[in-house]
Amino acid sequence: MSTAIAADPLAIEARAAASPRRRFFRQLLRKKLAMLAIVYLAIFYTCGIFAPLIAPHDPYEQNLVPGATRQGPSSEHWLGTDALGRDLASRVIYAARTTVVFTVVVLISGSLVLGLGLGLLAGYRGGWVDTLIMRVGEVLAGLPTLLLMLAITAAFRTRINDVAFWLQDNTFLGSDARTFVKFSIIVFATVPFAWIGTSRIVRSQALAIREETYVLAAEAMGASSWRIITRHILPGVLPLFVVGVSAGMAGTAGAEVTLSFLGLGIDPPTASFGSLIAAGAGPQTFERYPHLLLAPAIPVTLFFFAWNLLGDALVDLLEPRTQAVR
Amino acid sequence: MAPGLAGYIVRRLLWAIPVLFAISVIVFYMLRLAPGDPVDTLLGQRYQEEEAALIRKKYGYDRPIHVQYVKYMQNLLRGDLGISTRHQNFTVSEIILPKIWVSARLGFIALVISFFLGIAAGIYAALARGTFLDPLTISFWLAIDAVPIFVAIPFLQWLFAVRLDLVGLGWQGFTSANIILPILVLSLPGTAGIARFVRASVISVMKEDYVRTARAKGLPERIVVIRHIARNALLPLITIIGLSLPGVAGGSLIVEQLFGIPGIGAESFEAVLAPDFDVILALVLFGSVLFVLANILIDILYAVIDPRIRLGTQRG
Repeated sequence: MSTAIAADPLAIEARAAASPRRRFFRQLLRKKLAMLAIVYLAIFYTCGIFAPLIAPHDPYEQNLVPGATRQGPSSEHWLGTDALGRDLASRVIYAARTTVVFTVVVLISGSLVLGLGLGLLAGYRGGWVDTLIMRVGEVLAGLPTLLLMLAITAAFRTRINDVAFWLQDNTFLGSDARTFVKFSIIVFATVPFAWIGTSRIVRSQALAIREETYVLAAEAMGASSWRIITRHILPGVLPLFVVGVSAGMAGTAGAEVTLSFLGLGIDPPTASFGSLIAAGAGPQTFERYPHLLLAPAIPVTLFFFAWNLLGDALVDLLEPRTQAVR
Repeated sequence: MAPGLAGYIVRRLLWAIPVLFAISVIVFYMLRLAPGDPVDTLLGQRYQEEEAALIRKKYGYDRPIHVQYVKYMQNLLRGDLGISTRHQNFTVSEIILPKIWVSARLGFIALVISFFLGIAAGIYAALARGTFLDPLTISFWLAIDAVPIFVAIPFLQWLFAVRLDLVGLGWQGFTSANIILPILVLSLPGTAGIARFVRASVISVMKEDYVRTARAKGLPERIVVIRHIARNALLPLITIIGLSLPGVAGGSLIVEQLFGIPGIGAESFEAVLAPDFDVILALVLFGSVLFVLANILIDILYAVIDPRIRLGTQRG
């Protein structure tokens, strides 16, 4: 592999002078599509977090008066109403909330705790710890994920009601118990597979950094493993971690939407893009009530697209050598 | 054969044995220990206990789970995957083999189209680097990739079947025009990944000295692109083919479900809902074996391309 050598030494010096972080943000700002993606994601996440404040109507309030169901968009109902006369705009905003909560939970448990944590551990410790973590990952990665998610959710379906009723009576969850149980099941079905890619990226980067002189120097001075990992290895690993996470985010959110579409994830009345789309899918339904499909489909497609664009831009900026395959 | 390659392949294949063993144990225990008694599926909620005992004995559910596992594996090695609990007159292999064949053929056609489009788009984007056409091409395919398949399908069905009345919706085999829509939704989403890979590969090859030499000796641009750039840039792509293999034979659950295609994806959905334990088990194991073998294939292809890997030296 030949390395491209920049012709102008002054340019190299000028670039080295700016801090890597500032240079990164300046380059990111120059990518217009990536900026658009970030703006869209910010709006999406704001809508999700503040759903009760933003939604114009109660997303659960039905209106079965003839003529009130499956209305097209109007000034009263911006995106129309669904088959039960519920305000679709509010349901889409609440569906965004489901997606936001799900992606954040998987991000923290799957990517941050398991992915980053195990990756750092494997890369820094090496030896049998490394072997064990990577082999477990290899076995998990060898499983057909969607099929197994289906099997897990389907297997627990028969027990959902029992557990939900117990939680409803014995905890503070009350009427949210059923949603909580279904949510836990899809998290449980997703997280075991969500950390593998991230931890592989983190591990290989940590392996490389471990051999750097400054890490050896810190070790020689008697720094603790914790200090070395957090102060010396983590900063070097973070850029690639961010690339990996943002490239995988659309897939993570997609898992919940897919399961819900198939009727195995979050189910009505709780709003999810999957179940909203399922209600509007079907060529005949689309002929008569296009808004039932378009209202949830457009925001969620843009959401996936935004993560894809952002992931693509970050790969370009932070890791020009290795290219993500998907 | 190149030095060390045979040894590397043997090592890699041997390593697959414990991985597949672990996968089979996990899947087997998970499905057997999952809530939901297979007897419920067979007899419904109300049944005589004697009847249930007979069924348990017939399927071996009355024995300890590790005994069941050993028995299952013995049968598996003889090619016997058990009996379906939904269709009791059929063995699992009788049910899944024809469906695998349908899915594999569909997947293969889609894969070829995907690669053709992806390679074309990737080379085009790389050559257009520096102009707006490069990000436009890649973003276009990323946008296609972002449309959830279960959004694209009803929309395309509406457009081509209801509105334009060009194709029908039902599955009528490989010779009917109805196959166009499923092929379309199976092939288009994968294109983005291939296009990005090809683009990156072409860009790195374009910087090579031999490309500059080819240009310097005055070869026409077309020849430079085809003979010197594309040929070298596409070599790493064989590894992506390996990565796509499990998807090809594994079928797509949603596509098959929504188009009524009698493939392995639709079958797995029905089996999971039933639940039909031995069919699920066979499908998960089939998927895992495919995935592990595909990964080995990729590693071997990498080793063929890059001798450092098989000789055990550090990768750059």
